[in-house]
Amino acid sequence: MISGLVQILLFQSLGELVSKFALPTLPGPVIGLVLLIIWLVLRKGINPELALVADGFSQYLGLLFVPAAVGVVLFLPQLKANALAIISALVGSVILTIATSAIVVRFLSPKPTETGQ
Amino acid sequence: MNEKHSIVEIWVYLSGSPLFALFITLAAYQVGLSIYKAAKQNPLANPVAIAIILVASIIQFVEMPYSTYFEGAQFIHFLLGSATVSLAIPIYRGLSSLKGRSFPLLASLIAGGLVSIIGAVNIAKLLGADSSITGAMYPKSVTAPIAMGIAERIGVSPTLTAIFAVTTGILGAILAPFILNALGMKAWWQRGFAIGIGAHGIGTSRAFSIHPEAGTYASLAMGMNGVISAVAIPILYHLFN
Repeated sequence: MISGLVQILLFQSLGELVSKFALPTLPGPVIGLVLLIIWLVLRKGINPELALVADGFSQYLGLLFVPAAVGVVLFLPQLKANALAIISALVGSVILTIATSAIVVRFLSPKPTETGQ
Repeated sequence: MNEKHSIVEIWVYLSGSPLFALFITLAAYQVGLSIYKAAKQNPLANPVAIAIILVASIIQFVEMPYSTYFEGAQFIHFLLGSATVSLAIPIYRGLSSLKGRSFPLLASLIAGGLVSIIGAVNIAKLLGADSSITGAMYPKSVTAPIAMGIAERIGVSPTLTAIFAVTTGILGAILAPFILNALGMKAWWQRGFAIGIGAHGIGTSRAFSIHPEAGTYASLAMGMNGVISAVAIPILYHLFN
């Protein structure tokens, strides 16, 4: 597990360095993510230690949003004042996004595969 | 009197250390997970949403300023960056199962990503939301760890972005089955991919619980959407603002 964490932190650090000195428009962790994908493609595989740590992170990803999202207490009056706009925007865009993505992928796929249900 | 005095002392001590913030964050998430399990994984009982409401209520109740809470909880917050890097693993797994489907998937990703931004920002604008709200709508369809990074870069509130992103995930997980059934979508990989674009993390974990192929394609969509959006959203944002 430690070796997996070391690999993640190494790529995170590399990402931060590239972000600071070369690509300031991209967040460091996103650059780290891309570098790690390239590394995995080059060495053609994920080692079990890395998989263990990454799966742990994705399993409890939601927990990591909590501290920032609790900042909602600072925005309550503003959120209340804009409630209708916010709810409509979120619901509307979710429906439009899923529908558009689904329609595009379906009609561009060579043959509709009937593997579902 | 004496006893009351010592409780105040304990409270002063605890609230000054990161321990209290860490404890209520993890405990609230634990409660959220238990409720989610008890509700048979109903998306309405989302553990993240429950934890946020609980922690927000507790710090309001004990009159702890958000900045004090965050100072303690920043140890959890810091791991968001590491979790973002970890997204490389599901993307890599998804990439190896592409089987020549990259063109329709890429097209779907670009169309869905654009529609999510244009839809959210314009509906909010049309209904008179102020600019801090519409600004935070730009990165909201990206998985929260990446969305918050983008929010910082374009100078909108990462908190509002996180809240909109989490809400989007919950709404997407609830609405996706209805939308996809109404459109007659049958192939699991296509269903999963659309869910990953529209409902990122929360939708993806739901997709995994329904069908492994749907889950793999959902996490691929979520990750690719995150990477492409990290490049495209700052450009789009500065174009329109």
